[in-house]
Amino acid sequence: MSLSFLQRVPQPLLRPFIPLTAVLIALLFGVALVAATGASVSEALGAFAEGAWGSPYAIAASINRSLVFALVGIGFVLAERARLINVGGEGQIAVGGIAATAVSLYGGVADLPMGLAFILPLLAAALAGGLWGGLPGVLKVKAGTNEVISTLMLSFIGIWLLYWCVQSSALLRQPMSNSGTLPESLEIPSSTMLPFFFGDPSMPLHVGLPAVLVIGPLVALVLGRTLFGMHLRSVGLNQQAAHRAGMPIARTLILAMFIAGALGGLAGGFMLQGEQYSLKAGFSSGFGFDGLVVGLLARGSIAGVFAGALLFGFLRSGGIYMEMVAQVPSALVLVVQGVIILTLAAVTLINRRGEAV
Amino acid sequence: MEHSASAMHQSQQHAAKAGQPWLQLESIGKRFGSFQALQDVALQIRPGEIQCLLGENGAGKSTLCNLIFGVHEPTAGQMLLDGGVYQPQGPADAFAQGIAMVHQHFSLVSDLSVVDNLLLGQAHGFLRRGAMADRVARLAEQYGLQLDPHALISTLSVGERQRVEIVKCLMREPRLLVLDEPTAVLLPDEIDALLRVCRRVAAQGCSVLLVTHKLAEIKQVADRVTVLRGGRIVAHSEHPADELDALVQAMIQHAPDSPARPAAAASRSPRLQDEVLQVDGLGVTDVQGVTRLDNFTLVLNRGEIIGVAGVEGNGQSELASVLSGMSSPSRGRFFINGEELSGASPQAVTRAGVGVVPEDRHATGCITDLSLAENIFLNRLHEFQRWGCLDRAAMRAAASELMRRFDVRAASVDSRFGGLSGGNQQKAVLARELTLRNLTCLIASQPTRGLDVGAVQAVYGHIRAARDQGVGVLLISSELDELLTVADRIVVLYRGRIMGSCPAQPDQRARIGAMMAGQTP
Repeated sequence: MSLSFLQRVPQPLLRPFIPLTAVLIALLFGVALVAATGASVSEALGAFAEGAWGSPYAIAASINRSLVFALVGIGFVLAERARLINVGGEGQIAVGGIAATAVSLYGGVADLPMGLAFILPLLAAALAGGLWGGLPGVLKVKAGTNEVISTLMLSFIGIWLLYWCVQSSALLRQPMSNSGTLPESLEIPSSTMLPFFFGDPSMPLHVGLPAVLVIGPLVALVLGRTLFGMHLRSVGLNQQAAHRAGMPIARTLILAMFIAGALGGLAGGFMLQGEQYSLKAGFSSGFGFDGLVVGLLARGSIAGVFAGALLFGFLRSGGIYMEMVAQVPSALVLVVQGVIILTLAAVTLINRRGEAV
Repeated sequence: MEHSASAMHQSQQHAAKAGQPWLQLESIGKRFGSFQALQDVALQIRPGEIQCLLGENGAGKSTLCNLIFGVHEPTAGQMLLDGGVYQPQGPADAFAQGIAMVHQHFSLVSDLSVVDNLLLGQAHGFLRRGAMADRVARLAEQYGLQLDPHALISTLSVGERQRVEIVKCLMREPRLLVLDEPTAVLLPDEIDALLRVCRRVAAQGCSVLLVTHKLAEIKQVADRVTVLRGGRIVAHSEHPADELDALVQAMIQHAPDSPARPAAAASRSPRLQDEVLQVDGLGVTDVQGVTRLDNFTLVLNRGEIIGVAGVEGNGQSELASVLSGMSSPSRGRFFINGEELSGASPQAVTRAGVGVVPEDRHATGCITDLSLAENIFLNRLHEFQRWGCLDRAAMRAAASELMRRFDVRAASVDSRFGGLSGGNQQKAVLARELTLRNLTCLIASQPTRGLDVGAVQAVYGHIRAARDQGVGVLLISSELDELLTVADRIVVLYRGRIMGSCPAQPDQRARIGAMMAGQTP
């Protein structure tokens, strides 16, 4: 391959270059695929743009989606620093959503002042997600269970737990007023909904945005500049040497998984209190797995998470609208995502082979 | 193939008579960033010779080997092969041009058999295990390399694994075999066997470039010796056996310390209540139920070095592991300064003032992908916390101070630890463990393994200095000469038991040897 020139490019320049290449190739592929289905490319692209950034509402919806991806991705990157792979974002979002719903509806928080009405459910969501993520950490430390397996399995448990919650009126299902009641919860009180950033429902950008803009740099700081960040790296690189050097291995592993889970739970809280307002079956709808992909694409960098989250947020919004208007299946977005991952893996592999030889 | 190979050997032997070098390095330089690893190096390899490359850690020996083997490209000068320009594009290319290398660290798949490992990367389509086994047998006979082709790598000793690596090279019928510190990991009889193999390989016409710092080996096999220091060639000898002293001088610049110990240390009598380490009936039984360490009892005093002698695998690893908090004893207890620490965490052991030099530096002593500074302070990173963050500037400053004090040579404190030579890594580990604030006891396992003469002397110096400042040292080593040189008293381990103890006097050598072999004194 004539990719040997990649070796001459300095590493710092190369890092963002690889994912960008992957994205570009995938987008071109996506366009080619639209053309191949016989649909009008210009119409499809127009619809895509309309859905992704065509109106203030579309932009806000895209960004709100990005926030969820970003939180899951940040958690993934943090755990990855300790060589832990958290694939449980989907379940962590689900239990976060359950906790946020339960506290919003039945936690007696609706009348609390100073924003506590929406903050407490968010904290409950984070705590629930943290426990959902921390459990695989405990299992790993105590029993050596592979966290990839346990987080994935707990994802399914979380998703079906949510189904149970909205199916059973003893849990979160809205009271049976008539036989036609849908299997979903009541809508949460308006005081527990996330306030709009601009106070304007036509641009429903919620306060999660500033929160994520604080959390991202904060996690980058923790990873790069703190003792905990060093512990994560050391435990990830050489557990035995870290143990000999007196580092708290078990605590570091469990805490890393807890934080990753908590960020996933918080994402679930954002989705419920910022967009959906009531818990339904299919609540998490693949956001956790998209967040996982964002984390993978970021290659350990928080800035990369932000870039990937924005990309995926807009891709998803545009794809849904494209389906509605141009009759191009929104699954095309999944194809594009898949191609991004494949291209990225391929480019990384070629680059790594260049380094090894 | 056989035919052409023998024809090749003949032509080489012909060239050998003429004494013509077939691989020539001309004013080679290699720079890593701002660090000049090699400068103006000229080297000639003649057919069928054994050339030894001698030098301290960080002198550039490994870098030179890696240039020849195509791992790195030189930044200056050129290499000539048979008179033509030699510019390997990588190890595979070097291999194709007849140059093979056995690295310090092996690359074998431990769950596969010898034959399967040899087939890796060579086989296409069906695996012809039988043919390969025959080839291994032929090579084994040709070069005196005993090897069971069907044994699993995981069941082989280090020496046998090295033989597999050598066979892997010899199968390609190389014209130059580069061996990077091959004897560092071997037992004495295995070293002899390896040197015999080198002789036979050279006799068949293949040149051998042997990196070593053991003088006995040079005396035994070297046709010529080239000495590197600080990336330059400082000496060269065509008759190394006669010029050993001069070569050593050239290598370390300063005269090595005389092995004789200051007399005062030996006669020092420990005062009462000076115990820093008391071990009481320590025992370790492994998961298979085998007793690895049995009723180990010992008292270590302030300012004393006790050597633990014994052939490796007689309980030394288990002893060090328990005393450093890495595992719990099955029986017995131990105390540091009167505080019981049996089964305590490594952190608690460190906090009690015990410095630990682990026997396996790469697995336990350091994290190779972190920087030098981070490794020097691995066990006390928390001391550099300020407002919740690590004060990296302070850490770098403190690390460069320790680098200077312990003569750790590296491009900077931010260098990747894994890029340092073995000696410099070990000095950095010592720098970390010997500067514990409340250091009262040092447990050092095989602290000079794989190090060259100069670095060994430095390690001895640091251990003695710690002793003179009142630290009690438990020195676990399989090299008896080392213990006789450094320790005050020696206990001998055999099958996990203490066979006996005696003062570390050279005239005790025979007695200690007998105890190491399991004979009660």
